Amino acid sequence: MIEAFLSSPFFGLTLCLATYLLGKWIQNKTGWLLANPLLISVALCIAVLVLLGIPYESFAKGADVINWMLGPVTALLALGIYNQRKILKQYFLPVLLGCLAGSVTSMLSVLALCKAFGVDQAVTAAMLPKSCTTPIAIGIAESHGGLAAIAAACVMIAGVTGALCAPLFAKWLRIQDPVAQGLATGACSHALGTTKAREMGEIQGAMSSIAIGVCGLISVILSLFLSC
Amino acid sequence: MPVAAQLCVIFAVCLVSEGLSALLPFSFPASVLAMVVLLLLLLCKALKPRQLQQTANFLLGNMPLFFVPACVGIIRYTDVLFQNFWAVVLISLLTTPLVFFVTGHVVQLTLKWVRRKEEAQSHD
Repeated sequence: MIEAFLSSPFFGLTLCLATYLLGKWIQNKTGWLLANPLLISVALCIAVLVLLGIPYESFAKGADVINWMLGPVTALLALGIYNQRKILKQYFLPVLLGCLAGSVTSMLSVLALCKAFGVDQAVTAAMLPKSCTTPIAIGIAESHGGLAAIAAACVMIAGVTGALCAPLFAKWLRIQDPVAQGLATGACSHALGTTKAREMGEIQGAMSSIAIGVCGLISVILSLFLSC
Repeated sequence: MPVAAQLCVIFAVCLVSEGLSALLPFSFPASVLAMVVLLLLLLCKALKPRQLQQTANFLLGNMPLFFVPACVGIIRYTDVLFQNFWAVVLISLLTTPLVFFVTGHVVQLTLKWVRRKEEAQSHD
């Protein structure tokens, strides 16, 4: 019976969905930033696999189906960029230059620090796109031989830092313009930061969400030139 | 568009992008290429955002779910993770305000320059 249970793809599928829904429920109840559905779901899945001694391959049979949907999810990010084309046109130069500067800074500083700390190649490749939104970061990481999970973890650290500290960063680093605040938040902490940017103001929220798509695209192009 | 048709369109875009990605001489992630292809289809009015609405609402509304399998995959690489753990955390933390700083100031300088130019033009 157990054999049939573990060899079925429905095991991984059910586990992913159930833990994710539980994570979503906990976030709604508590409203804490760290009660993140992804974090909770991943922690619970790993706990179940490790505690019950279930091999990763059994989980992957079902989880792979969900993983395949990452492509369509990434493709649909195009809708967000498309819907913002008007405001993007209006602020074309600041958005383009700001996101370009941010993406270059992010990738070069990560690359330099990874070399300085002697970080493994597979980890460095995963960390490079850490300022991008998760689906794009996973795409970039995997196409350079990086580990998707580490990419997702770094993206989350950057996102949580920005979501918690964006108003402080703006004050300490002397960014007063609302357009600049929004773009800076989106460039360093993508979707998680955008939730905070929306609290800071309407312009900040809109600019932050524009920065997600633009920085993502710029980072993909930049990553082509960076070999690590 | 019925949901089955929406899925068909999105899967087809992803399929074409996988092909294109394989043709390219450099390693460009197929998923991001699919985003570019879909954006082009929207811009040239071959598709309307409304036509993909239900699928987009479901997939984008539950985005974190689709990262779960890749993240759970870390249990196969615990040795790599533990070896680099502190470096990874430290680098991620340190570079975030740096990116904020550079982006923010570049945008402020650009805005200043653009506004000055606009003012100069309006004085002419």
